[in-house]
Amino acid sequence: MKLETDNNREQNPFEFVQREKQLADEKFEGKAIGFFKDAMLRFRKNNASFVAAFFIGLIILMAIIAPLLSSFSYREQHIEWALLPPRVPGIEKIGIWDGTKVMDIKKTSLDEKYKGSIVKVMEEYDMDYRGRKIPMVKAKVDMYELKGAKDTYFWMGTDALGRDQWTRLWKGTRISLLIGFMAVTINVLIGVTYGSISGYYGGTVDMVMQRIIEILSGVPPLVLVILFVMYLGAGILPFILAMIVTGWIGMSRMIRAQFYKYKGQEYVLASRTMGAKDRLLIFRHILPNAIGPIITQATFAVPGAIFIESFLSYLGLGLGAPEPSIGVLLAEGQKVLLEHPHLTLFPAIVISILMLSFNLFGNGLRDAFDPTLRGQE
Amino acid sequence: MLRYISQRLIAMAITLFLIISLLFFLVHSMPGSIVNDPMLPIDIKERIEAKYHLDKPLVVQYVYFLGDFLTFNFGDSIKVQPKVPVFDIIKDKLPITIQLNILALLFTLPIGVICGIMAALKKNTATDHGLNMMVVLFISVPSFVIAALLQYIVAFKWELVPILLSAEQALTWTKFKSMILPILALSFGEIAIVTRYLRAELCETLNSDYMLLARTKGLSQMQATLRHAIRNSFIPLANIFIPMIFSILSGAIVIENIFSVPGLGSLSINAINALDHPLTIAVMFFYSLIALISILVVDLSYGIIDPRIRMGGKK
Repeated sequence: MKLETDNNREQNPFEFVQREKQLADEKFEGKAIGFFKDAMLRFRKNNASFVAAFFIGLIILMAIIAPLLSSFSYREQHIEWALLPPRVPGIEKIGIWDGTKVMDIKKTSLDEKYKGSIVKVMEEYDMDYRGRKIPMVKAKVDMYELKGAKDTYFWMGTDALGRDQWTRLWKGTRISLLIGFMAVTINVLIGVTYGSISGYYGGTVDMVMQRIIEILSGVPPLVLVILFVMYLGAGILPFILAMIVTGWIGMSRMIRAQFYKYKGQEYVLASRTMGAKDRLLIFRHILPNAIGPIITQATFAVPGAIFIESFLSYLGLGLGAPEPSIGVLLAEGQKVLLEHPHLTLFPAIVISILMLSFNLFGNGLRDAFDPTLRGQE
Repeated sequence: MLRYISQRLIAMAITLFLIISLLFFLVHSMPGSIVNDPMLPIDIKERIEAKYHLDKPLVVQYVYFLGDFLTFNFGDSIKVQPKVPVFDIIKDKLPITIQLNILALLFTLPIGVICGIMAALKKNTATDHGLNMMVVLFISVPSFVIAALLQYIVAFKWELVPILLSAEQALTWTKFKSMILPILALSFGEIAIVTRYLRAELCETLNSDYMLLARTKGLSQMQATLRHAIRNSFIPLANIFIPMIFSILSGAIVIENIFSVPGLGSLSINAINALDHPLTIAVMFFYSLIALISILVVDLSYGIIDPRIRMGGKK
């Protein structure tokens, strides 16, 4: 028997490594990755969102510096230069944005009114006018030459009062962004406070607060916003106020749900038994869990606010005259859409890119903060 | 169930009462008088104001207003179409708005559902990515930008359809042709929403066990999807379908303006701008009513679509 175990010991290929050594965890190599750094790493991988972030940055930058680049101010009127098409130095040589416009002109007026400003005659035809045949031509006319603005360049043309569309567009973008950001910031503050109180205290407080929300959200938001803008008059501040009336409800609901999810968990209970006050529990222990959803939801709310702003401006309930916003510019452009599409084109492009970028950016943020939600838009 | 419905109806009545009070006080405290003709002698102006009780204190006006409201009398329009009952004006403008809405819905739903199914079945392929791009694009670009673009390219440059809505009363072919663009402009955003929602739902359903069972039973992917997966994905779809009616309706305010449709949207703008108080209140009330009814119908429809859901039940 003894011999057998001895035999076994000899054959045993294993040996104890650390009979005398002390066991210890290995030290971490490299730095710990925090919540935001982790999210940033994931966000970088999302190409579409990264491009969107770049475009948002570009548009914000342009909204700040672009009006300074032009020599015209946003309310400077040159009636004699009204409705000029866009003309950009450099690009005009290729043949686009060279300040020309295709027009139908009477052949007889070619040499009088349009002398010197005709670039190219494209086709000649006859028009019947009350039985008479009038010779007409379709010609490319240099509008800048025609209206005596030979050496000026309006990069995006001018509007019906001869104001520089470039300056107005970026000034308008600035105002739209301002309204969007202001409204969303205030909404987040109100929503977080309201939701926290309602969710944390629960019971009767929650019941009363939720009934108030129910009534407020029962009124169609558009109706409420329209009434408020009507009542307070046009302007940036009334606009922001009107959007705050119901804008915070979504945020407060989300925060309330977060509080319901976390307030019963053991770590909160542990903290409470150790004597933590309500304030500490709310701000230090529960609210930080919601930081990802808050940022994501706020990002999605910005294009929403910009949309409502331009929607109302489009209806003529928007900002008052000289201040432009993207919605005001679009509404002005709509009136002359068929004759002067450039007035609609540029604001439309900017608002589309802005909304698209914010939505893609928000998607990327949501995926980065909470990878489990990926794929469900 | 009956008890739940009656509870909801009472809650709805309270909300409506609050809305109508809010509407009344907001609208009546707006600056400006309905009589803004400076040439009118003072005493005539006062008499006109007295006729509409506008000289009395706001609270007295409110009592008059509530009395009328309880008998469903919204009063006569003051400025947009003077002396015509508000109810008749709305009745007049309603058909074209409803036509546009229903046609837009009829166009939206099938296309949205088909796109959603395609995206879910071909998940993570080129089709899916293409549809995804479309969804993000149409959700982001505002409907009035799309409308302006359609109006310029399709109607003006290509001359395929008329630029504005034709003024004919009956729904003829020419009228329908002129309605195509507003319908398209109203639908694109909603199609994108339906597609996105259905895709997310279907993707989840397709991975469930009973789908695997259906496949092992011998059903083809198509049969299994159409007979089993779709049904379960339609429940959440009901959640967005009825609010969609309202969102199309409010989106139509701008679209109607662009294509000069003489509908409810342009009526509400006219009423607001003309300070026509009875008309403004009536139109806004109408919009609120539709919104509230749609919320109620959504909640009730859960139980009908999926009998497992009991609304208002306790634990």
